[in-house]
Amino acid sequence: MTRLGQPVPFRERGTGAMWRAARAAVRRRKLQTVVIGLVLLFSAATTVMALGLLVASTAPFDDAFARQRGAHVVATYDSGLVTGAQLEQTARRPGVEAVAGPFAQAVLEVTLTGPGMMGGPLNVVGRADPAGPVDRVELWAGRWPSAPGEIVLNDTPPPADLAGFGPEPGQPPILGSTAEVPGGPTLTVVGMAYSLGRTADAWVTPEQVRAFRPSSVQMLYRFASAATDQQVEAGMATVTEGLPAEALLAAQSYLLIKQSVAAEPGVFVPFLMVFGILGLVAAVLIVANVVSGAVVSGFRHIGILKALGFTPGQVLAVYLVMVSVPAVVGCAIGTVLGNIGARPLLDMSFQGMGFGPVGISPLVNVATLLGMPVVVVLAALVPASRARRLSAVEAISAGSAPRVGRGLRVQRWLGGTRLPRAVSLGLGLPFARPGRTALTMSAVLLGVTTVTFATGLTSTVTRYADATDGNDHVGVRAADPAPGAGRPASSLTDQQIEALLRALPGTNRVTVNLTLDFALVGSTRPVGVNFLRGDVETQGYREQLVEGRWLAGPDELVAPSEWLGERGLAVGDRIVLEAEGRRSPATIVGETMSGPPGPSRLLADWSALARLAPAREVGNHEILYQIQLAPGTDVPAYTAAVQAADPGLDVWDNGGTDSFTVAAVSLAAAVTLMLGLVTALAVFNTVVLNTRERRRDIGMLKSIGMTPRQVTAMMVTSMAVLGMLGGLLGIPVGIVAHRLVVPIASGAAQIRVPDSLINVWEAPLLGVLALAGAVIAMVGALLPARSAARLPIAEVLHNE
Amino acid sequence: MPAGPALPRLVAMTSEESTPDVVVRLTDVRKEYGDTTALAGVSLQIRAGEAVAVMGPSGCGKSTMLNMVAGLDRPTSGDVIVHGEDLGRLDETGRALFRRRRIGMIFQFFNLLDDLPALDNVALAAQLVGVSARQARRRALELLDELDIADRRDIYPAALSGGERQRVAVARALMNRPALLLADEPTGALDSSAGEQVMDLLLDLNQIGQTLLLVTHDERLATRCASRLVELADGRVTGERSLERSA
Repeated sequence: MTRLGQPVPFRERGTGAMWRAARAAVRRRKLQTVVIGLVLLFSAATTVMALGLLVASTAPFDDAFARQRGAHVVATYDSGLVTGAQLEQTARRPGVEAVAGPFAQAVLEVTLTGPGMMGGPLNVVGRADPAGPVDRVELWAGRWPSAPGEIVLNDTPPPADLAGFGPEPGQPPILGSTAEVPGGPTLTVVGMAYSLGRTADAWVTPEQVRAFRPSSVQMLYRFASAATDQQVEAGMATVTEGLPAEALLAAQSYLLIKQSVAAEPGVFVPFLMVFGILGLVAAVLIVANVVSGAVVSGFRHIGILKALGFTPGQVLAVYLVMVSVPAVVGCAIGTVLGNIGARPLLDMSFQGMGFGPVGISPLVNVATLLGMPVVVVLAALVPASRARRLSAVEAISAGSAPRVGRGLRVQRWLGGTRLPRAVSLGLGLPFARPGRTALTMSAVLLGVTTVTFATGLTSTVTRYADATDGNDHVGVRAADPAPGAGRPASSLTDQQIEALLRALPGTNRVTVNLTLDFALVGSTRPVGVNFLRGDVETQGYREQLVEGRWLAGPDELVAPSEWLGERGLAVGDRIVLEAEGRRSPATIVGETMSGPPGPSRLLADWSALARLAPAREVGNHEILYQIQLAPGTDVPAYTAAVQAADPGLDVWDNGGTDSFTVAAVSLAAAVTLMLGLVTALAVFNTVVLNTRERRRDIGMLKSIGMTPRQVTAMMVTSMAVLGMLGGLLGIPVGIVAHRLVVPIASGAAQIRVPDSLINVWEAPLLGVLALAGAVIAMVGALLPARSAARLPIAEVLHNE
Repeated sequence: MPAGPALPRLVAMTSEESTPDVVVRLTDVRKEYGDTTALAGVSLQIRAGEAVAVMGPSGCGKSTMLNMVAGLDRPTSGDVIVHGEDLGRLDETGRALFRRRRIGMIFQFFNLLDDLPALDNVALAAQLVGVSARQARRRALELLDELDIADRRDIYPAALSGGERQRVAVARALMNRPALLLADEPTGALDSSAGEQVMDLLLDLNQIGQTLLLVTHDERLATRCASRLVELADGRVTGERSLERSA
């Protein structure tokens, strides 16, 4: 008794008790805790991936570009129209921060001999050294040319694990190989360098380039302001003011390069952002639902806590801590998984760009780790504040007094319908808790939106793959007649091969495709042109037109969106192609989503070959035959037939799926599954709450003869109706999201997609989607509904 | 409230089917929850038209026994035969179907659905067996009328008094003309006046032929309504005697 009389050492803050109460709350709601944790895990993972890619799509380029003091504009001038002195004066124009040049440049048709090397036009610039105020070229192997006869090639450094396989330890294999210039000297490759601004394909000494009689010069500019296209254009307008008209042949902005660098990760960013946002909204809805449910079903508990002396703030803290624990844990695991998941996407996106290892920015991780739990706590704050406000008396009495129901008229009306009573009772349940119903329906809406969006995305990606690959079932090319090629050469001519292929059973259409590289006047990079003949228009290329028209003459070109985007060109523009020492203007008359397989190239009619490269002798091994097979054709049998017809023909099956399609469809499927699961968990949680709240009612209904199946039907029906409504609302939202996001994503990849790839919604698909909400809801409801059906009546009725 | 024979319409409202002479037969029923024995071999018979009260201290097994008879729980061993059905052999669904046809239950805390008005609470029991909403409501209204609360048919449970709620619960229990009416502390949550009314009602029902099994602590209720008293202690029947009903 003496000890009982001793004063208790009060700790006014009472945080220990608060923690204990919060821990008990977490233990009491294991299921909801797991749900919150899982949703946050998913949401954090997708957000980290999306934000990580978004930051990575610009930050590594900006860093590397700043390190090299890259040129904001690579300007090419006609050396016949402008003098060196005039060009040097451009450096003193307002807004010009730094200048390099003038550097003479020439386009050379070279043949490179060396492992893995191919010939083609090279834009060769004469520079005395790689340093300078602009475009500090990164010499990563060998040395800079110091005398005529030496050349340095522009290429990205290889990944660390592939470096050093050359003849000398630590040197790339190309060093020491030669570049033959027709009618000119043979150049020895003495170094490898990397210019992020792509100012040249190769560099030689200024003396050497003069020997090639260059007709143009290059100036490299850095401007004080060059963050936007307008600023770059304004800078160039200032620089070229007063120079002779048409002296400027071309001006290549660094923003186009930056855009193309961001293209690959940029495709994934919009999808991941949408999925991340959907996940976060789902998390907010679920947290609000869990906390409001915990408050409503825990009135008595709240009353007891307050009666024991918990302050309103402590009661609030109990509920906030209850959701914060799983939120922080889920977020932390999700952030780690997001970093792991982003790795292959980053590797795929930035491979060969010379940035070195690109990872997720620490800022992204910190923002996710801090931001997402804060959002969750804010979502919990509103319902938890109700617990804070309740007085102890109110709380305790609210926990035991009969509830005044809601949606009574609807429930009464339902009771009078011909529906089975278990069903009509189930239909009435959502009206009794309108707030919870709204939250649950929103979660279902989100789920159906995700399913709709992901289904649309999958359809678009699949149609894209079909459009770009589907009409090219089989490829055929004559074997290389060069000695040591290992196969007999075909004795047939191009026309004979085409006739042979057309005559084979199973051949539906044949497109003949020859790819040649040309120099593009004003550009430092050569461009590929596909000369096409045969069933080009009906074999899918024409269907991919997004603007303009198809080829109608030898001076016309059709360009893929990506090609145009990289060069800042558009339909209607005229470009000048250079080969065999002659320049040929041509007009871009159409824009196509894509072209033949391989890098983005221009499309031209076969008749243009005689105009652009009249002296070019085409070997049959250079020609690709793209074959569309008749439906039902056995591809292996067809390829065997081709080989049997002429053993000098290489033939291959183009079936299979490209990595982007696999990545996009897998991502969409995974996210659909995850958010579908999250939605089902939200419904699951709601039914668990409803069941807990209605234990007495369910017990009573069972006591008067409601069978377990009827109880299950009642609980499942209550959610199915929400699922149906959420589904009907979620479909249009998903369609709108798809119509907004696909053009953004394709725009990021510098592709314009035709309407046929966006209008993927057809009645049967919509019908299936309309059921998706109900199915998700029913799946989520089934388990707790069955558990409700098994409620021990005796225990419930005697204890409630 | 009209007394005794003044409930002629309820005669027609109780079981229409022929009822076996013995409505409840418990034979050596045991119920164990882990190491705890709730019933340790109870045997009991209730004949048609009887009103039996079961009394005993808290934890003696009264409610467990009631749950066995209602088919809410299954015995660990022994036979529970009600209206000819061996409840121990029925699965959960079978017992639910049995309850809806043969048993009416009244609870201490009424157990009405808060979302439904009195009329629909009563009609619910009939609707579960497939009676149309219209017919169920008509019969529910007749019952409420008979129990003198027809004027409260559209009122929700939260706005009814305790006595009114219990009468609605009685009406619901009678809805499917049960062979056996089970009452678990039916006056336990009521004030004395409302308790009196419920006692009168149960007495009247028994007088018009309704078989009744009461579980109660309230000796007054037992002596007022029951014709036989069964005493339980430690899960066993410790005594059994006929009662002279008090006025």
